[in-house]
Amino acid sequence: MDTKEAVLDILNELTGEDLSEQMDENLFDNGLLDSMATVQMLLELQEKTGITAPVSEFNRDEWATPNKIIEKVESLRNE
Amino acid sequence: MIKDVIKQIDQIATAEPDRVAYDYLGELNTYGDLKKRSDAYAAKIQEMNLPAKAPIMIWGGQTFEMVASFLGAVKAGHAYIPIASYSNSERLTMIQEVSEAPMVIAIDPLPIKMDQIQVLTPDEVVDGNYTINEKEFVDGNDNFYIIFTSGTTGKPKGVQISHDNLLSFVNWELTDFKLPEHPSFLAQAPYSFDLSVMSLYPALTAGGKLVVLPHEVTENIGKLFQTLPKLQFNVWVSTPSFAEMCFLDPTFDQAHHPELTTFLFCGEELSHKTAQMLKKKFPDAHIYNTYGPTETTVAVTQVEITDDILNKYDRLPIGVAKDDTHVTIDTSKGEKADQGEVVISGPSVSKGYLNNPEKTAAAFYQDDQNDYPSYRAGDLGFLDGDMLFYRGRIDFQVKFNGYRIELEEINFYLAKNPLVRYGVVAPKYNAQHKVQQLVAVVELADGVRDKYSDEELVKKLREDLSKDIMPYMLPQRFIFQDEMPISQNGKVDIKQVIKEVNA
Repeated sequence: MDTKEAVLDILNELTGEDLSEQMDENLFDNGLLDSMATVQMLLELQEKTGITAPVSEFNRDEWATPNKIIEKVESLRNE
Repeated sequence: MIKDVIKQIDQIATAEPDRVAYDYLGELNTYGDLKKRSDAYAAKIQEMNLPAKAPIMIWGGQTFEMVASFLGAVKAGHAYIPIASYSNSERLTMIQEVSEAPMVIAIDPLPIKMDQIQVLTPDEVVDGNYTINEKEFVDGNDNFYIIFTSGTTGKPKGVQISHDNLLSFVNWELTDFKLPEHPSFLAQAPYSFDLSVMSLYPALTAGGKLVVLPHEVTENIGKLFQTLPKLQFNVWVSTPSFAEMCFLDPTFDQAHHPELTTFLFCGEELSHKTAQMLKKKFPDAHIYNTYGPTETTVAVTQVEITDDILNKYDRLPIGVAKDDTHVTIDTSKGEKADQGEVVISGPSVSKGYLNNPEKTAAAFYQDDQNDYPSYRAGDLGFLDGDMLFYRGRIDFQVKFNGYRIELEEINFYLAKNPLVRYGVVAPKYNAQHKVQQLVAVVELADGVRDKYSDEELVKKLREDLSKDIMPYMLPQRFIFQDEMPISQNGKVDIKQVIKEVNA
């Protein structure tokens, strides 16, 4: 599964919305992701993409939109 | 056994003024500070000539000043109403209307002007050598604090907790749990949420310490996981949801937190999965599941989750009632034999909702066999011997991330929106019986569909709702439906909507 698909799947499960048409929508601003949902997202990402989420350096702005999340996951994968 | 909560805290302050009571991210305050500051608040409040016993609203976060003002209020003979400063201004005005509070203490700046009542700010409270007459202290059946919960018609309900209600709770927590001496507690829950009382008064009456993890920190994951590993305390108090969140931190285990010996959970169902995970991370810690509605003062049942309990039950028990309290099951309310509504009677049961005799009469009653009032919890449960088990709700109240929410309150505001013909908010449950998200199912008003895209509608509805309800009550997801299921009495069939959302 490619990163984009994995991220959108996880977000769909968490928010109940297909975000493929809203790749630059800020998920914190529109209320789709609160801190509890963010944690679940990170847990799922760890499980499904094998990344280790950098929880103590977590910066919301870097994870705010579907596109940003994909970018972040790919850069963590290549580390 | 403690006899008086306020005097007990003052006695510790007099005997050991230098003992640390409050640790706010490294900023320390002692029992001596607490007495001095709360006396200053009490003296100032007494100067203001409020009507006797009128409640005082207190707006703020989780700072030391907040706790000092709580104690100042009760020392001056007034109950306090804690309101978290992340609430919206609507909630503040609504609580003022219901409570008729003649005064608000603005520990944090108020979001609106409140010209019609007195406003006190911390800089007007000057330290000095005040002696507060102990006869003025809140005691007995007088209200100590009033916590507002979600109501069904958009009007919040103020649960009145008296000094003696609180006393029964505190004595139980200090007796029936294996707490260390001078326990230090995690203080994570905002003070508007009665889970905070599980840390606050047991800590302060036992000469213990509160180690604060403020809301601003827990809301920001990066900050949370920078802060959490540095905090040291013996007793963890939180909702299960919050502990689950902390599992993400690889250093959240016994090796990194050897001082953490006890976990107290309340506010929502503790799942088997979460308890098991915690046991793995903290094999020697005592883990307690507790249960109780705000109306019965924080919690009234407890059970230690041991390996035996984990092996025996897939869905964990919620505990055995404290000695002074009776839990019974009203089986006329259940659908299965032996199951029914949980009814709680005892000295920690509230006298009812402030200025709301109708809702009070619907949930509380006094019978001849009992010295104390009884409260119908609305929870579905059953007893196995004296062990209580929880199986859900008999109405439309849910717990979401530990917050208690009346779905009908959200429905009320949703239906008021001109874009909406019918709107119902349904909880979507996961496999552990936990609410995972709130789903708003909406039938739009005529013509609305053609005017806006779905994204625009979601944005508008969310914006409008956020003016009236707390942020944690906002639905995560909106589904627009052409027709809602209608029940036999011609109303929207809420149960059917909930079924469909969870299908």
